[in-house]
Amino acid sequence: MTRHRVAVTGLGAVSPAGVSGEEFFARMLAGESFVRLHTIDEQPKAVTQPVVRCDGFDPDALLGRPISSATDRSVQMALAACFEAWKCAGFERSERVVRPEFGVAWGSALGSHTTIERGYKEMWQNGRERLPPMSVVIGMSNAAASQISIQLGLANASLTYVAACASAASAIGEAYKRVRNGEAKLMVAGGGDVPLSYATMKAWEALRVVALPDETGAAGCCRPFHPGRSGLVLGEGAATLILEEWEHAQARGATILGELIGYGTCSDASHLVRPDPIGQVRAMRMALDDAGLGPDDVDYVNAHGTATIEGDAIEVASLCELFGARAAQVPVSATKSMHGHLMGAAGAIEAIATVLALRHDALPPTLNLDTVDPACAGVRHIVGGPLRDSGARVALSNSFAFGGSNAVLAFRKADAA
Amino acid sequence: MDILTVIREFLHDRLGVDPEAITPETTLVELKIDSLMLVELIFECEEKFNVTFDRDTPTPATIGDMIGIVESFIVDAKAKSSTAAVPTPQQD
Repeated sequence: MTRHRVAVTGLGAVSPAGVSGEEFFARMLAGESFVRLHTIDEQPKAVTQPVVRCDGFDPDALLGRPISSATDRSVQMALAACFEAWKCAGFERSERVVRPEFGVAWGSALGSHTTIERGYKEMWQNGRERLPPMSVVIGMSNAAASQISIQLGLANASLTYVAACASAASAIGEAYKRVRNGEAKLMVAGGGDVPLSYATMKAWEALRVVALPDETGAAGCCRPFHPGRSGLVLGEGAATLILEEWEHAQARGATILGELIGYGTCSDASHLVRPDPIGQVRAMRMALDDAGLGPDDVDYVNAHGTATIEGDAIEVASLCELFGARAAQVPVSATKSMHGHLMGAAGAIEAIATVLALRHDALPPTLNLDTVDPACAGVRHIVGGPLRDSGARVALSNSFAFGGSNAVLAFRKADAA
Repeated sequence: MDILTVIREFLHDRLGVDPEAITPETTLVELKIDSLMLVELIFECEEKFNVTFDRDTPTPATIGDMIGIVESFIVDAKAKSSTAAVPTPQQD
């Protein structure tokens, strides 16, 4: 089988910074926290958490009313991220061409959960006897992939991946394989999630892994690798990468932003919430093997780094195991400290941060990391601002999910082949 | 609220179209109303006017057709209501 190189030719990210991947990344380099306190005053008891919300997101303006009025917020964000990435890659949406060689792979942990929750409330709390007729097609788990396929004319595979926090990384990895193996010329890949409905926030609150607001305020409460870390911050958003066969991208004169060179995925097969270093190391090795590289070739790791007590320490242990004596020299950061945990979209927005870190030779920092927990020591944490001009050429983006799903993406700087 | 106004408000919210641009002569094709959206419109009319569309109700081609169907259901419902109000003769 011919193995094709896979170029990244477009990026889009729905975040508090708008829909641009570059603008999102600029705010990460600036060390800006998107975290704010948010209250939902619902019955039976209000819930307040530090979260990341995209308050300026305007689906009517971005998508038009016919689409925005018939889609869940997670799908609206998915479409906005894909439209932006599509434009970034140099395509026109107005062409309305159906392309059998272009497809979509989308990740989401929760799907159209907000719409489904609203439907339950209407029936069981407000006594509504029937649901709106669009409920099934708005709420179905593949709603985002379906809409993306229809709106962009993507007639190759339309795939949906559900792997908790590894959903988007899995979608990107599986999309990469389709392009690499010649099954598609181009795949629109990424993920989107809106974990900020009342019941979802309550469920996470019950799990006792959500960051607690403290004297540092909401912006300072997400502290991966810090001895005082208290948990993750839920965030909404979506992110998209256009993955394209290298020759196809070159032939149409596309700007190549980076190269996806490896993908590793495996399951811990051990515990629902406790990560396993064996599985994590195996996934990272698989990604490097796939890329034809070894641990010594890695110049940066965008860590899963959610800021949970156990998770961060285990990930650093895995990195130390992978890199051995070189671990202390490998720059590592957890950008979730700024953009929060986007659940099923996390792997996509962090993939964008990784691609642009290599492209601009500027590695984003871990925010709020003034002291490193001894349990998280052993790697080179990027603190106090971005690490510039390191000459990084190869980077890993880690996603390690509840349920034991691991997905690791390996990227290379576009001109570093 | 009259039927045309209800339809206009629904389509303005659902599609963002100018309510004044919708007339009885406007076709569903012009408005890009497909079978799925037609079901949404039917639900809206059923709830606002307390009528029930049967599955064999003819598919309207225009907004005027839709108004006519709803009006016929309203007339039928009133007729049934008035019939039900007439006391049934008792047979001793």
